[in-house]
Amino acid sequence: MLNSDYVRVEHLSHRFHLTRKIAIDALKDVSFAIDRGEILGLVGESGSGKSTVARCVMGILKPTGGRVIYDGIDVNAAKLSRDENVRLQKERQIIFQDSGSALNPRMSVRRILSEPLDIHGLSRDREAREKLLIQNLDFVGLDPGVLESRPGELSGGQRQRVSIARALLMKPKLIVADEPIASLDVSIQAQIVNLFKHLQAEHGFTFLFIAHDLAMVEFLCDRVGVMSKGRLVELAPTRQLYDSPQHPYTKALLAAMPIPDPRRERSREIPVYHAPEYVTRQEWTRVGFDHYVLMER
Amino acid sequence: MSHEALHVQHLHPMPTEAQLAGELRFKVVGRLDTHDMPRPVSGRKVRLPWVSIAVLAIIALGCLLANIIAPGDASYMDLASPAKAPCAQYPFGTDMMGRSIFAMIWHGGRVSLLIGVLATALSTVIAVVYGTVSGAGPVWLDTLMMRVTEIFLSVPSLLIVIFLQAILGPANVVSISVVLGVTSWPTIAKVVRTEVRQLRQSEYVVASRCMGGGFMHVLIHHFAPNFLSSIMFMVVMNVRGAIASESTLSFMGLGLPLEIISWGSMLSNADRALLTGAWWIILIPGLFLVVTLVCMTNIGNALRGEVNRGERNL
Ligand SMILES: Nc1ncnc2c1ncn2[C@@H]1O[C@H](COP(=O)(O)OP(=O)(O)OP(=O)(O)O)[C@@H](O)[C@H]1O
Ligand SMILES: [Mg+2]
Repeated sequence: MLNSDYVRVEHLSHRFHLTRKIAIDALKDVSFAIDRGEILGLVGESGSGKSTVARCVMGILKPTGGRVIYDGIDVNAAKLSRDENVRLQKERQIIFQDSGSALNPRMSVRRILSEPLDIHGLSRDREAREKLLIQNLDFVGLDPGVLESRPGELSGGQRQRVSIARALLMKPKLIVADEPIASLDVSIQAQIVNLFKHLQAEHGFTFLFIAHDLAMVEFLCDRVGVMSKGRLVELAPTRQLYDSPQHPYTKALLAAMPIPDPRRERSREIPVYHAPEYVTRQEWTRVGFDHYVLMER
Repeated sequence: MSHEALHVQHLHPMPTEAQLAGELRFKVVGRLDTHDMPRPVSGRKVRLPWVSIAVLAIIALGCLLANIIAPGDASYMDLASPAKAPCAQYPFGTDMMGRSIFAMIWHGGRVSLLIGVLATALSTVIAVVYGTVSGAGPVWLDTLMMRVTEIFLSVPSLLIVIFLQAILGPANVVSISVVLGVTSWPTIAKVVRTEVRQLRQSEYVVASRCMGGGFMHVLIHHFAPNFLSSIMFMVVMNVRGAIASESTLSFMGLGLPLEIISWGSMLSNADRALLTGAWWIILIPGLFLVVTLVCMTNIGNALRGEVNRGERNL
């Protein structure tokens, strides 16, 4: 599971303290690794901890246990050198679910896109910057006319493209996308996922893609991790996971996928997965090539 | 296509013969009529108190141009004509020491306005930094810092002012600005803190921090544009408050000494002036002070109304 040295998530746990007495274990001992140039999907029910993983990987949240290693750098280390910090800030970018709140509504698209450049003091020359902005808008299929618009004047799909363009500006090596398509229309979703696939092929970045939509994940991702109740329960190459799911939760999740055939769709039964109340002991078991399942012992 | 165009309405409840013949059954309404429809009134229409702004501008301009309007030394004492009523030579009369009140008004107004601006600049900077640190910091720090402001607010500020004055020694323009500045930040800090606390969770702030945006960057680009409108009226009120406090302190003999001319120190002559019936000595600086304060209050209130009406991006 931890066979890569690029991004390593090691025994990640996170506990949110709601009050002094009540706490939520949002993550329980989650481990996985992402290879360079790979698209790893993360699926699971709402509240299973997907966003928490994304936030820990980005260093927005400091996990209560375990660690995230990005290319040899401990993301949550107390003390990082200036160099390491700048590398983390430039090489990792996040794309949020709701582009409406991920873009400052008071700023024009030009200022939004310029923000990372200003922070790092890059391409100060006016003409060079203009060229860079237009080039990146072009990557995501927007024309330079949107530069003067504010996010409120753009459609959801256009806003999400602006978010993606902002992430791409820094030439990132790792993009973490937390349900980047969940707030969009189905037709726009397909456009954006196609855009991701195209951009990934073009720029070769590594991608942690979090989604609800299993069909999109199947189309886009190389490997998929399934999360349930704060645990990673199954991790496998996409084809393998969709063809032979092993964990009961994965089976239930895949069975709930709509089938594009009305007769089969109507007659089928969807199994329901009940997570065991008390987990005595679970262990990662290798069930196939690169295919791991969390099994009860 | 606008959504009004999709509204379809029966032309008549009963079909006419022409309609039955299949010529025209429905009429698309909405799009054609849009020009009659009441347009949403723009919320950005500002009703500024133009009179107050104009009066304040004239007073401020007069103070700035004091050297042109009333050239020479304002503290020059014409010992031959003390407490002289307004006349051609002295348009506003002279005070007990024979100083021209006309000259003192403009030169002294400079000092009063300067104290107002300096004190407010200082308190605003303190409030913004304090409020942002408190709002963006961890919960324990926020709690601690808010307790401190509450303690600060519960002690009468006059007491703190007098205490600080005693430490700093004889008052001058800078020291009194500092004293007034460091005592008037907590209310603004609380507003800033509340806004920052709501904003810091927003994804564009999180994104900015991920991109490497530091404290000052996020403060200037993301927090300030949001809380600026809501603290604007408090800032204006703080200028007003500082000018009023300086006058009060000077009037009580705790502020500027007589030889530093300000509207406040001019008023400290009041007791002797009243005994001699020299109304101009007290009424004229008093009038300028009150008019200035009223204008600032009007502007402040207009700004507050504007904040409540305008859209918020929280
Ligand atoms: N800031 C927070 N404070 C307290 N609890 C939180 C916080 N953020 C998340 N949680 C809790 O942690 C758990 C995991 O949340 P998370 O957002 O990671 O789920 P998710 O898988 O991303 O869900 P969704 O698909 O709905 O986005 C949930 O039970 C949630 O209530
Ligand atoms: Mg989420």
